[in-house]
Formats: sequence, structure tokens, C-alpha cells
Amino acid sequence: MDQNSATYEGQKMYDPKGWWDTYVFSQDHKIIALQYVCVALAIGLTGMFLSLLMRLQLGFPGLFESIDAGSYYQDVTMHGMIMVIYLLTALFLGGFGNYLIPLMLGCRDMAFPFVNMLSFWMYFLSVIILVASFFVESGPTGAGWTLYPPQSILEGTPGGDGAGIILMLASLAVFIVAFTMGGLNYITTVLQSRAKGMTLMRMPLIIWCIFLATFLGLLAFPALLVGAIMLIFDRVLETSFFMPEIFKGGEVLDYGGGSPVLFQHLFWFFGHPEVYIIALPAFGIISELISVHARKNIFGYNMMVWALIAIAGIAFIVWAHHMYVAGMNPYLGFFFATTTLIIAVPTAIKVYNWALTLWNANIKMTVPMLYCLAFLVTFLNGGLTGLFLGNVAVDVPLSDTYFVIGHFHMVMAVSPVLALFGGLYHWYPSVTGRMLDDRLGKIHFWITFIGTYLIYFPMHYIGFLGVPRRYYSNEQYDFIPQSVADLNQFITICTLIVGAAQFIMLYNLIKSLYKGAIAPKNPWDACTLEWQTLESPPGHGNWGEQLPVVYRWPYEYGLPSATADFVPQNVSDEQIT
Amino acid sequence: MTNYAASEKAFLGLSHAQVFVYVLMTVISILFLFITNAYLFRMNFQDWAPVPIPTLLWFNTVCLLLASVGMVWAKSGAKTEDHQKTKVGLTLAGVFAVVFVSGQTWAWQELHVSGYFLSSNPANTFFYLITALHALHVLGGLVAWFVVTFKVFKEDAAILQPESVGLLGVYWHYMLLVWGVLFAMLITT
Repeated sequence: MDQNSATYEGQKMYDPKGWWDTYVFSQDHKIIALQYVCVALAIGLTGMFLSLLMRLQLGFPGLFESIDAGSYYQDVTMHGMIMVIYLLTALFLGGFGNYLIPLMLGCRDMAFPFVNMLSFWMYFLSVIILVASFFVESGPTGAGWTLYPPQSILEGTPGGDGAGIILMLASLAVFIVAFTMGGLNYITTVLQSRAKGMTLMRMPLIIWCIFLATFLGLLAFPALLVGAIMLIFDRVLETSFFMPEIFKGGEVLDYGGGSPVLFQHLFWFFGHPEVYIIALPAFGIISELISVHARKNIFGYNMMVWALIAIAGIAFIVWAHHMYVAGMNPYLGFFFATTTLIIAVPTAIKVYNWALTLWNANIKMTVPMLYCLAFLVTFLNGGLTGLFLGNVAVDVPLSDTYFVIGHFHMVMAVSPVLALFGGLYHWYPSVTGRMLDDRLGKIHFWITFIGTYLIYFPMHYIGFLGVPRRYYSNEQYDFIPQSVADLNQFITICTLIVGAAQFIMLYNLIKSLYKGAIAPKNPWDACTLEWQTLESPPGHGNWGEQLPVVYRWPYEYGLPSATADFVPQNVSDEQIT
Repeated sequence: MTNYAASEKAFLGLSHAQVFVYVLMTVISILFLFITNAYLFRMNFQDWAPVPIPTLLWFNTVCLLLASVGMVWAKSGAKTEDHQKTKVGLTLAGVFAVVFVSGQTWAWQELHVSGYFLSSNPANTFFYLITALHALHVLGGLVAWFVVTFKVFKEDAAILQPESVGLLGVYWHYMLLVWGVLFAMLITT
């Protein structure tokens, strides 16, 4: 049967007419996932390049004349925004979500393929608008990734009085529309399109994670949208939502009466759930990888699901812990410190369960497993320093120092990226039908893992010394010892090495596409459905004539009655014996 | 839209489109929740000078109500397979929604002419922003209305889907409800 014009279960499938329909304006979830991954990785490399420019200035101040204070702040801002929103959010949900949801749930595509396609193209448009800001006269915004008014829209801040900040806000608004389109699809597909037998409590944990992260996004992004729209009004129409009375050079500006703290509330009501929008899919990837590569069922599946739901719920009542230094009622600070510490409980449950999954397991030291183990220790490190910063009294002196940079990058940058790399290595055979080069994978892993520790661990120490973050140059301050400058040089050199190492992965991804060993259909002997398709890589419609029927949970390893050490979800008890 | 599910009505007896629209309405509700929160926060400041609500807004409210009535009419027609009734209902719903949006822009014009400029007072800014955001969502509904109405007017019985018309009706009623809350807030604060 012609796969491209198939009719299944009495319903006609989306029918690509030619090359453009199949590969460019495709409505197939797998192609859309790849499009998301490629665009996100491309813009992510840009974000990484910006971080190298920052580090060059910090490690070798003044050596590169092209990096002045203005461009430094632009690099900082764009690096942060690109990595958090346009790389990690898009790649985890748009990339992994699109690829895995239909395949792991045993359905043919997303519930609304056309809307899914629109979601990608809106995302692409948001990236184009973002990149366009590099080419306008005043350059991109340099307001810091939090875009706090009033400074973000005033003259003197790079991009503040030009088009930079407008393009940034417009890009965010378009991104939110794209995310909403994709998110509605993920929610509907998970709730509606599961294969027969795929109950909610038989879903792989990564699907739970993507599902809950999507809910978080759908409920949190409107806050950012409202903030962005109001800030555009303030910037373009000179309204004063967030703008207080401002005197500049003895002159009173037209603004007055607005509240900058209101923006902070709106931003962080989105901003903190955003941490979990990124962390939850990373948790999901780790849950899958750890079980498959340790050949053992995940410990405490039900507990894992409820912990995720608890994290998703509590994520909405911790946002003001980002605002302790903005000044707040001490009782409010106490409340947010308490909720922040409480969210550590379900998070710790997950870490314990991963550790217990490894206990007495048949651990295979594959590249994905290496990334899992690296994630566990890194997330633990980053999480523990989070407990420090969650407390008001500790946060206030540390908040504006490099300690926060160290904490944030360990928990929110390195950890998810390690999970991301693990996921790429794990699912690459499913996408391409070829294996990645194991040796290159291990080289990439060790340089990245050790390198990131050499970069971010010293930052905690620098932070304790009181070195302020966000500063373009530390040279004029007596309280900063020479050792900090030496350490900054060391960190910069490590950053350059780790940055260069990412091209090993890129080379591996491209080379293996043509020269990689042909992958067996289920190379990791996994139980989940994405490895049980008729063809590998799965074709249009995923499942041929018959949708799979699910008989068991997704982590059936070491079943005594089975000959193999795993039983796929679509194999019945009768088929085992 | 095409569904590929193994079985429809998989979750809580809802169809794909129902889940989509209900979740979308939740997201829109959150958006308006934030904006009204910001409004209520800001109005406590001393420089707040409330906008005189144009009488036209009452007329617009009645139009939106009539648009909803049109949708009830259309839904009833779709259920009983009375094509004429569905067509009349959909037309009324669309026309009154367009009149509502036009009326809102007229009200902005009135305020502007009377000197209530967008940036002259935070109350003005919020008024314009809130009403514009709502009108934008009605316009979004009109896009869906256009698609469904186009299908219905094609006279193809198989295309006359009570579900599409019903969901469109739900969105229309929802827009009326949101406007009711926003309007009540604007006239009482």
C-alpha cells in the first residue's frame, strides 16, 4: 500500500504531495520534530558562540577590542534568552515531544497535524525575528535575559532605544503562539490518541514529563505574553505600565506611576515554571535511559508520576524566590522560601528512585548511560546549591554574585544539556536507522562532563568571594583578588575547549548519518513502543496496517517467565511463552 | 481536522476538538487573569483616573449577546439537521460579532477624540489594552467561524458537523462570559 495516501481506521491520513510537502511543509510529526531539532541546535550553537565571546572578555579583559561593554551585555542577554527559550524549550518539547509522543503512545501522528506544522513555522519565524535583532542599527537588546524595565527600554541600555528590545519582545510573543499551538496538540494527543491498552499509568515517564511540562508552559507563558505586550506598549506607545517617574540628566521623562516590580512578578510567574518546563523533559529522558541501559525496571513508577505532578503544581508557587533582592514583605519571603524547600521533596524522590533503579542493576556503560550518571551527580550538585539560594538570608548576599551563575548553570544548563545529549545518542538510531560512533560519543562525553565542572565549580568559589555577576570588567575593584582573574582565565580556556568539543558531536551526528553502522530495529533492547515499529526508521503513519495494542507497562525488564531480559509493551503474556 | 486516534472519545468522553478548545480556553482565561490582576494592582495607585465608559459599550455588549444567541440558534439547527436554521444562526453570530468588534473600535475613537489618549493615564492604557486583547480573541474566533460557515454554506450535508458548530458556540459564549467579567470590572472600578 502507498504509505503516503494511507487510510487507517476509516480515516484518511495527511497525504504529502511532493518534496515540499514531505520535507518542508510537512505535517508528519517526525519531520516536524527534526525541523525543531535542527533549528534549535543551530540557534543553540549561536548562543554557545555568544557565551564564548563573554568568556573571552572575562578571561582576557580588554584583549579583544570588538567586545566592548555594550556588546558584552548584548551577548549575555541573547545567550541567556536563546539557551533557555529557543534552544532548550523548543528542543525538548518541539523536538523530543513531537518525535516521541505519537511513537511511544502507539498512534499515527499528532491529533492536529496541520496545527503542529504551523507551530514549527511560527517557532521558525520567532527565531528569524530574534536573529534579525543582531542586524538592526542598535543591535540586539542588552538588558539581561530578564528584560527588567525600566532599564530595558531606555536609552543607554544596548538596544533599549532602538529596535533590539522590540524585536526581542515580538519574537517572544510569536514563540508563545508557536508553543501554544504545539502544546495544545501534545495535550490532546496524550489524552486522546493513546493506543488500545495504553492507560495513563502505562505511559513511559518521558511522556508524563512532556505532558506536564506542556501544561506548565500553557499556564505560565501567558504571564510572559502579558508582560511582553505591556512592555512593548511602554516602549513604543510611551505608556507607563512598568515605568516609574524617571529623571534623566535633570529632565523628567514622559513616564510615571508604573511599577517595575509588576513586571518582575509577571516575568517570574513564567520564569520559574520555565525551569521545570526544561527540567521535566530532562527528568523524563533520564528515566527512560536509566531503565533501558541498566536493564532494570524503573524504581517506584507510581511515586515518580505523583512526584512529577507535585513538582508541576508547586512550581507555580515559588516564583518570588527570584525576587528576594527586589524587596518584599518578610512574611512573603518566608512563604516563598518554604515552598522552595518543599519542592525539593518530590525532586529528591525522583533522584532517590533513579539511584535505586541503578542499585544491583546490570549497568551498561553506553554513551547514553554515561550521560545519565553525569546528569544525576550534576543535578544533585546544582540542586543542593539551590537549597542555599532558596533561603532569603543566604540568597540576599549571594544573589548578585557568581554563585548564582554556578548554581543556575549546573542545575538548569548543564543538567538538561547532559540529558539532551543522552537522549540524542539514545534515539538517534530510531530517527536515522544508524548508530552513532561510540568512540566519538565517549570523547565528547568526557570533555563535556569534566569541562563543565571545571567551568562552573570555580564560579561558586568566586561567588563566595563576592564577585558580582553581570559586570563587564572586574579590574577596577580592590576587593577582588588577582586569583579571581587567574581563575577566570582558566574558566575561559575550559569554555573554549568544551565549546570546541561540541563540534565532535556535530561531526558524529552528520558523519553517522552516512557512515554509521546500520542500527538494528531495537538496538538497546527497550520495551517502549517507538522501537517496535514495522520499519526502522518508522515510516509515514508509524505502524503500517495495524496500530499496536499495549499489554504492559514500559519497563518490563528481567521478567522471569521471559527468555529475553525485556518484554516490549506490545507483547502479550501468551506471546512470551 | 483529521483524527488518527485508535478510538475517538478517548478521554472523559471528549473528542479531540473538544479537548483542544477547552484547553485553549483555559490558556486564554489565564491570560485575562493576569491582565485583570495587573489592572486591579495598578488601580490602587494615586494617579489612577478612571475612564468614563462610553455608552456605546452597552450597545456592543448587546451585540455580543445576540451573537451568542445566534450560535444557540445555529447549534439547534445543526442538531436537528435544519440547514436553514444553522445558516441563519451562523450568519447572525458572525455579523453581530463583527458589529461588536467594529463598535469597540468606534468606542476607542470616541475616547480618543474626547482626549482620553492611550498614554495619558494608566487607566486609559489598561482600558485600551484589555478591550483590544478581547477584541483580538473575538477576531480569532471569527477566523474559525469563517471556516465552519464556509463549509456549512457549501450545502454538503456530510460537512454539516454539529460538533464544529457546537464548539464554535462554546467559544462564542466563552467570549461573552469573558467580556461580561471585563466589562463589569471596567464599569465598577
